[in-house]
Amino acid sequence: MFITASSDTGITNTTSWKVVLPFYGYAAVAFLVATILLLLSVNDIAKHYIHPHALAVTHIMALGWGTMIILGASHQLVPVLIEEKLYSNQLATASFILAASGIPLLAYGFYVSDMGWPAKWGGRFVILAIIAYLLNLGGSMAKSKRKNVHAVFIFTAAVWLLVTASVGLMLVYNFTYPLLPQSSLAYLSLHAHLGIVGWFLLLVTGVGSRLIPMFLISKYNNTRRLWWIYGLINIGLLSFIFIYLFVNERALLMFPLLAVATAIALFGNFCYKSYRQRIRNKVDEQILVSLLSVLMMLLPIIFLLVIIGLLTLSPEENTRLVISYGFIIFFGWITAMILGMTFKTLPFIVWNKVYHYLAGKGKTPNPKDLFSATVFKWMGAAYISGFILFTTGVLLQLSVFLQLSVVLLLITSFLYTWNVLKLLMHKPRI
Amino acid sequence: MLTNNNTNCAAALAGLQNVLDPEIGLNIVDLGLVYKIDFDEPEKKVYCTMTLTTQFCPMGESITWAVMESLKTSFPGYEIVLELTFDPPWGHGMITERGRKFLNER
Repeated sequence: MFITASSDTGITNTTSWKVVLPFYGYAAVAFLVATILLLLSVNDIAKHYIHPHALAVTHIMALGWGTMIILGASHQLVPVLIEEKLYSNQLATASFILAASGIPLLAYGFYVSDMGWPAKWGGRFVILAIIAYLLNLGGSMAKSKRKNVHAVFIFTAAVWLLVTASVGLMLVYNFTYPLLPQSSLAYLSLHAHLGIVGWFLLLVTGVGSRLIPMFLISKYNNTRRLWWIYGLINIGLLSFIFIYLFVNERALLMFPLLAVATAIALFGNFCYKSYRQRIRNKVDEQILVSLLSVLMMLLPIIFLLVIIGLLTLSPEENTRLVISYGFIIFFGWITAMILGMTFKTLPFIVWNKVYHYLAGKGKTPNPKDLFSATVFKWMGAAYISGFILFTTGVLLQLSVFLQLSVVLLLITSFLYTWNVLKLLMHKPRI
Repeated sequence: MLTNNNTNCAAALAGLQNVLDPEIGLNIVDLGLVYKIDFDEPEKKVYCTMTLTTQFCPMGESITWAVMESLKTSFPGYEIVLELTFDPPWGHGMITERGRKFLNER
């Protein structure tokens, strides 16, 4: 590729910031809303996970927070992974508009416990958003000459997301029309694990296995191990679906759990080896928080082992353990990962937007200088304290811990949003 | 580093030392992104061949823009022709000793 002074640099391979930034802004607002709702309903949510407010908060966290930021970041990262331009910016925008409209409708339906038109239209919009995303991914990959394991992880994860959302919409309909043999509540665990394992886990391991070595400038690479992780997660999930739907033997659930736990252990070891073989000695706080989130993947596995173990002994479900399990996934693992990765990816997107044509014309700030490191540290401290207090509060039914933890989590989301806004509104300093 | 004019190349590299990879904080010369700088004095042209750490590097446009600006500043009145190549692709082995020291390789 030749570039001359009379032309633009000609490298317009990266996805436009106009496509990506709305996802980040939306996710920050969703996180703030989820923590406000958690603060307002903490006593109800700590008692039972099927409470309407718990379902609303869970869906805001899973879709508005986790999924929206992953969709935004992946529109930026997919071209890097597959070495091809994003197929369509219009499809990406359509995906954002559809998801951004659907998520509040769905959350409202749950919050007021009305599975009428808002929840149904919300679900439909979310499914259309995922279809737009899948078409964009498929179109981009079809153009790419290079097929790699990371791209396969992302595409498969997006397919699982579509399956999760479709099952979710079926469950919403099942409240008003009897579509399924049992009540919707009987399928909640299936729906939740399709999303947690199929979408979040598969995507995080696929993208993380590329980003973590890249940011550490690590010499470590092991594609064969990544294929094993991919296989174990999918086998675990497929066997879980089969056992859940067709075999009424809870002890057998240990098999998919073992497969997924092995995949997580392999991924943890992959990250550790990347860390050990890094060229860059200094590891910044954003990467450390992301590595912490990899460690946090082990917590739900431990909880699940205990939950399944107890279920095999007695059919009575331990509600406190189940609530803690869900909280550890959405407010623990997924949130820790996003808190770290946001300030590793967003500053570069904003830097590119603001300083693209100013590079080389004077001293530009570093991307990491575009947000407040102090606020980031306070956010991290509030988050870790809030997370530990909430989990302990639920397990030991300590109301004071719960009240304090939700305030700390609200502070976390406020500081996060403040730093994201600071980035989004950055003006050139040159 | 390949060149047909050592004196001019040194001047070009001195300027390019100020072009940093924003993520790593290391300049593109020590990162090993610049492969070749040739000069055509009669035609007043500078030919620079370089790469990026990955073909679809999100910072690629900014880096190449900064390279053009740097070479224009170092050689006023020259036409700058920048060739972006991924053959050979960039690898860790291309980081210079000074670059490795900067990154504190253990």
